[in-house]
Amino acid sequence: MAATGHLLTANLPPSLRRRHRKSLSPPTTTLSPATTTPNPRLHPIKCDHSPIPQNPKPLQSTTHSPFPPPTKTLALSAASGLLIHLACSIPTLIGDGGNTGGVGGGGGGGGGGNGGFWSRIFSLPAIAKDDDSQAQEFDSHGLPANIVVQLNKLSGFKKYKLSEILFFDRRRWATVGPEDSFFEMVSLRPGGVYTKAQLQKELETLATCGMFEKVDLEGKTNPDGTLGITISFLESTWQSADRFRCINVGLMPQSKPIEMDSDMTEKEKLEYMRSQEKDYRRRMERARPCMLPLAVEREILQMLREQGKVSARLLQKIRDRVQQWYHDNGYACAQVVNFGNLNTKEVVCEVVEGDITQLVVQFQDKLGNVCEGNTQFGVVRRELPKKLRQGQVFNIEAGKQALRNINSLALFSNIEVNPRPDEKNEGGIIVEIKLKELEQKSAEVSSEWSIVPGRGGRPTLASIQPGGTISFEHRNLKGLNRSLLGSVTTSNFLNPQDDLAFKLEYVHPYLDGVYSPRNRTLRTSCFNSRKLSPVFTGGPGVDEVPPIWVDRAGVKANITENFTRQSKFTYGIVMEEITTRDESSHISPNGQRVLPSGGISADGPPTTLSGTGIDRMAFAQANITRDNTKFVNGAIVGERNVFQLDQGLGIGSKFPFFNRHQLTITRFIQLKEVEEGAGKPPPPVLVLHGHYGGCVGDLPAYDAFTLGGPYSVRGYNMGEIGAARNILELAAEVRVPIRNTHAYAFAEHGNDLGSSKDLKGNPTEVYRRMGQGSSYGVGVKLGLVRAEYAIDHNSGTGSVFFRFGERF
Amino acid sequence: MAFQLIREWTGIQQFPSATQTKLLELLGKLKQENVSTLTILVMGKGGVGKSSTVNSIIGERAVVVNAFQAEGHRPMMVSRSRAGFTLNIIDTPGLVEGGYVNDQVLEIIKRFLLNKTIDVLLYVDRLDAYRVDTLDKQIVKAISDGFGKEIWRRGLVVLTHAQLSPPDGLSYDDFFSRRSEALLKVVRQGVRMRKQDTQDFIPVVLVENSGRCNKNESEEKILPNGTAWIPNLVKTITDVVLNGSKGILVDEKLIEGEDPNQRGKLAIPFLLAFQLLVVVNRIKKWINDDIAKEPSPYWA
Repeated sequence: MAATGHLLTANLPPSLRRRHRKSLSPPTTTLSPATTTPNPRLHPIKCDHSPIPQNPKPLQSTTHSPFPPPTKTLALSAASGLLIHLACSIPTLIGDGGNTGGVGGGGGGGGGGNGGFWSRIFSLPAIAKDDDSQAQEFDSHGLPANIVVQLNKLSGFKKYKLSEILFFDRRRWATVGPEDSFFEMVSLRPGGVYTKAQLQKELETLATCGMFEKVDLEGKTNPDGTLGITISFLESTWQSADRFRCINVGLMPQSKPIEMDSDMTEKEKLEYMRSQEKDYRRRMERARPCMLPLAVEREILQMLREQGKVSARLLQKIRDRVQQWYHDNGYACAQVVNFGNLNTKEVVCEVVEGDITQLVVQFQDKLGNVCEGNTQFGVVRRELPKKLRQGQVFNIEAGKQALRNINSLALFSNIEVNPRPDEKNEGGIIVEIKLKELEQKSAEVSSEWSIVPGRGGRPTLASIQPGGTISFEHRNLKGLNRSLLGSVTTSNFLNPQDDLAFKLEYVHPYLDGVYSPRNRTLRTSCFNSRKLSPVFTGGPGVDEVPPIWVDRAGVKANITENFTRQSKFTYGIVMEEITTRDESSHISPNGQRVLPSGGISADGPPTTLSGTGIDRMAFAQANITRDNTKFVNGAIVGERNVFQLDQGLGIGSKFPFFNRHQLTITRFIQLKEVEEGAGKPPPPVLVLHGHYGGCVGDLPAYDAFTLGGPYSVRGYNMGEIGAARNILELAAEVRVPIRNTHAYAFAEHGNDLGSSKDLKGNPTEVYRRMGQGSSYGVGVKLGLVRAEYAIDHNSGTGSVFFRFGERF
Repeated sequence: MAFQLIREWTGIQQFPSATQTKLLELLGKLKQENVSTLTILVMGKGGVGKSSTVNSIIGERAVVVNAFQAEGHRPMMVSRSRAGFTLNIIDTPGLVEGGYVNDQVLEIIKRFLLNKTIDVLLYVDRLDAYRVDTLDKQIVKAISDGFGKEIWRRGLVVLTHAQLSPPDGLSYDDFFSRRSEALLKVVRQGVRMRKQDTQDFIPVVLVENSGRCNKNESEEKILPNGTAWIPNLVKTITDVVLNGSKGILVDEKLIEGEDPNQRGKLAIPFLLAFQLLVVVNRIKKWINDDIAKEPSPYWA
């Protein structure tokens, strides 16, 4: 982290500027509460002169800025946090983002949860650093104990260990504690080992940072060979001010301070001052307005008024407050670089907000080397939020959003979103997106053996069946995120025709072009499936209705247009062949029924439209989903409406012409306002659900609507209530949070609207089903599993169910 | 079943000669109208005397009758021919089982009747039952749902156990008219026919199947009011057959009901247009509202 911090600090404008306001008050004036840096030039020098070249580490880590710029590191640690914890930390980051929203709006000076999170990351290397320096050897000072030594009396060849560091405020004539804001300006740490040169450098930094009129460093020898340091200082102060202004100096060239010749005449000096002042005024005029809200400005004004004289400490406080606002609001690269116009009535706070000057997408190979990527730029670009484009101010939240969006493409194994200072453009930020691409092609074979009971119920050698799945995937074709994937699954490779499931799918996103704002995806697939028909099931008390299997195989092509992440419109064409089979895989054109005598007759309701057991048909399909649900502390709240339409085209066996439609309306109503944030309890939620399904025209049994089951009317088996042409389902559920999960109570009703008889053969009646039914019950959510007790109203009996997933 | 043996109607000879002449006269009348086959469907609750009535008309024990137990769950057709005229009488099991109309029985009857034409429906009930209830209505409704309202234009209400002494203070005719009025009301309600229709079309006939039935001087079984009931019944049947309405042909369509797959097919294009133009657009509008309403994150 130190290294990255380095990069940033190196380019930041030299913040030390000398401007003389009046010749009368000679040394004073500007500024620089020094968030920033020492003169970058110093760095190499120091390194070269280091007496401990064999151990360069402390040199690197002891950043020589008067303040180890905490804010900067924050920004970077934020970035590195993202890239390191990509997989696991995203949820945390999301929670965090929500939290800071509130804090920023209030502007009340609270630290917010954000700091806690960052500091956790930050504290790790900090601890490591301390350990490092403590482990080092040091030289004894070789002087009598308990005497005061001036800095220049120390030996240049020794490494001194500091036992403690004290601050002495000469104005107040008191030692200030570590809680004082000046304390953080010193990079020396008790227990650290430093050379004289390092100490001198430290002193120089303090002296030139503009915070102090005068600063001294002296040591006090300890008996154990260590040195106690006392830094005595006189704080700089300026005229009191009653106005405050914040300007955005990002991307503006820093005015270079011109050293004043000491032998200038009084008049020349005056001239020089004037031109300086004029320059500054022009600079202020050219500066763009900054984002700082009025509330914070007013708050700072209040601080100025209370304080009277403008002191270095106050400037520090102002700087902290301004930066805090920026950081709380995600502008992680924003920095206060300077205070100008001191000693006038107005304090001008110069801020670099972190304007994005460039957006770079970079691909890396497995070893992390930059390489040519396969993915086209447009694919990545369209996932980036607008706020991450060139000319915007870098916001960490936008960065996180970009990270999430790119991650959802599922094309990359590693994603880094990195703000990097723009060397050519002071105050600018280059957003670097580093991507590691996943392998384009992948194939997978998984196998399993199953032992089927053979003759006599005992497994034999012949009854061992090799089964498994073969799948392949070719992702990101042409770099445009198109993909082709296929899979074949069978339970018996030796006899695959028995039970073979296959799927071949081609996905073609960005149908309107990568740069079009429209987001339409074309999907075509070949598929087959085998399902137990819930139409041919018995009602309560009817045992063992011989099952009917519905096999479907066909081709499908559809176009999905995404409006939002959740709302979308899909339309397409399906061509399929439907085969109905009985238990022993024989094609059965009719359902079977058990006669009162106990025999089975195969003259039940017809299973297909054609009456042969095999139907072929083509139909158009459309589905529009409107979903504005969102999570409030983990509870889902909002509204979801789905309208689905299957329109028969009159193509196929018996020329099927039909209009099959379904409308689902689900509302999740939040019953109590709650404070949002990680770890806060979710609100109680009332769920109201209605589902209408209807069909006009040809309706084969396999397309009939069935009632009953975990996604229809709970407490019943699939299809136990009936199968009909038109159905209506109504449900209500109340969810109450309990600890970190929720319990719920529900009531549901399903009704065939008297349309069971409109289904050929009336399977509802043949299998003695009621055609309508209600249920009610209670349940608890345990992780992914719902455990519920439901009472079905038709038979009045209750039972316990365990289900996966959500009902709604 | 179509090849069921059609036997000679020998039972007719056991009737008293007066009855025989009347019957033959009526058959001749039917023949004149080119009716050579007559199919009579007998329906009603269990134990009201449907089978006995069949036996009485035929004049022999064609159908097994048990006083205490329903015999069989299957319909039976008894066919007799006489002088080129065929009489088919279909006896059916009772429609009521355990206080409910048994749909399965009705289904079986329907299947049995497939491709047959029903000329006359005899709806049988007892005269000596004093009350009518919703069950009667349900039976009537089940029959009309199964065979269509039209069947009641060929319907007769037959009241068995006609030889009874009415409760105190009521004359026999009075009791009969009250009872038949009540029953007809139920039938009207069950069929949902207008009042005048039923009064015109559904005749009520009395029947007494008991062997202890009073007889008149020519050995004909008579009712307490003195009419010989067998010729009367057959005469009424003949009247109904010749009243101008059509017999009910029980075909696939009648059994299955109207093909639900064909219903409303013509409306599909309009329905589709409505769905695409109204429903889909409405939801699209909601989505657009959502997008407009969605708060942009504070940083954007």
